[in-house]
Amino acid sequence: MDFKNSWVAHDMIHAVKISSRDVCVYYSDSQALFKVSLDIQDNMVTALIGPSGCGKSTYLRCLNRMNDTIENCRVEGQIELDGVDIHDRQVDPVQLRAKVGMVFQKPNPFPKSVYDNIAYGPRIHGLASTKDELNQIVESSLRKAALWNEVKDRLHASGTSLSGGQQQRLCIARAIATQPELLLMDEPCSALDPIATSQIEDLIGQLRESFSVVIVTHSMQQAARVSQKTAFFHLGTLVEVNDTESMFTNPKDERTESYITGRIG
Amino acid sequence: MGLDSKHINAAFDQDLDHLLTQLMAMGGLVENSIRESSRALLTLDGDLADQVINDDNRIDVLQDDIHKSAVNCIALRQPQASDLRMVIAAMGISNSLERAADHSKNTAKRISSLIQSPPLDSAKASLQRLTSSTQTIIKDSLDAFIQNNVELAAEVIIRDQDIDEMFASLFREYLTYMLEDPKIITPTMHLLFIAKNVERIGDHATSIAEQTIYLITGSFPEGERPKGDNSVYYSASD
Repeated sequence: MDFKNSWVAHDMIHAVKISSRDVCVYYSDSQALFKVSLDIQDNMVTALIGPSGCGKSTYLRCLNRMNDTIENCRVEGQIELDGVDIHDRQVDPVQLRAKVGMVFQKPNPFPKSVYDNIAYGPRIHGLASTKDELNQIVESSLRKAALWNEVKDRLHASGTSLSGGQQQRLCIARAIATQPELLLMDEPCSALDPIATSQIEDLIGQLRESFSVVIVTHSMQQAARVSQKTAFFHLGTLVEVNDTESMFTNPKDERTESYITGRIG
Repeated sequence: MGLDSKHINAAFDQDLDHLLTQLMAMGGLVENSIRESSRALLTLDGDLADQVINDDNRIDVLQDDIHKSAVNCIALRQPQASDLRMVIAAMGISNSLERAADHSKNTAKRISSLIQSPPLDSAKASLQRLTSSTQTIIKDSLDAFIQNNVELAAEVIIRDQDIDEMFASLFREYLTYMLEDPKIITPTMHLLFIAKNVERIGDHATSIAEQTIYLITGSFPEGERPKGDNSVYYSASD
């Protein structure tokens, strides 16, 4: 655990939220991830970058046990959320996913009203005991997702009637309604136009004040804009993790250099 | 370094190659300007001095072109890592080269006054050593950049200290000449200003070397630059 100690010593303000050690993932017999050890720090945005098929989304899905839902997928190694092993028998994956929210590439609102999209999670997790409390959660989640002003007069319109950018912010509002401690985002802006992308990026900057964010992105400019730490994956291995600034001005590993300068895809 | 291999997007390579070509052309013109102004000084050749003054315009135009190419590259290609450092270093080096050429032009401008003055052969001999050393370190700083040679760049920074020391001793020497013969104060002052210009060219070679080190290693050399010129501390009683 020397590595962990030195990490903490270097960055006292940001405690380790998720600590993963030697994480390997297999799809049937083929290995997709090779001994990934990475710490995700609290109140920071960590970007995962790398070419397609490098394992960054696979790693992201390990963090809230989404890989459990994939048949023939096997995860090895240790992942701890606040020091608790997320694969421990006593950990309920549904509760885990309430703590570790997820936003996907394509906006996927439920075919329900804007209000119910947000209220769904707090209802099943029993986070509100009265209608007023639920209303408050819906409003504060939509405000945090910078969507409240645009939808406050049509809370009962269908979530799918919103524009693409609004739908994605609705999904973010839905993910934060269960008061997660960590938010995972898998290419959250790849289906959005530049304005909606800027809104989401601005939102990510605000969200990190409340919790940590891990974002998978194919846009290196986006990683540079939104994250404080960047991790580069290649062929299923974690090649390099560093401060975003160092990563984009002076990467240490040649493979990182080649990737971010556009020399390998 | 990743710079050895090609980008997936070939147009990006062309842009960077173009930037490098422009910088090489500018480096060549500036080396030439420094060499010719030194020659014009030693031979008191007014025509050659005029040519140096007129040619400076081409250097200024090239500097503008390099800045435009660098801005376009940043805007259109979003360079990262070593590519980004290359673009930033190209801008910084072109600034240093332009300033070095200005000092060379300033030297050339004083030559017409020297032509009309009594000959100052012994004073010029020390100046010749200074100009010769400066030409060498400007050349070496550009070679270090082209060859990605961090050792040569570090050496340039150290050698600039010798140039500073040469200037400091030249300052004392010129003071002695002026004390001995007040009639030569005007031309000697011209030579002193020229010597200062030449010494400043050495500082720009150091700056090019520092930017080369940044390009190669990703960080600028730490600490203050070594200084060999203590002439600023001389007082009338020295």
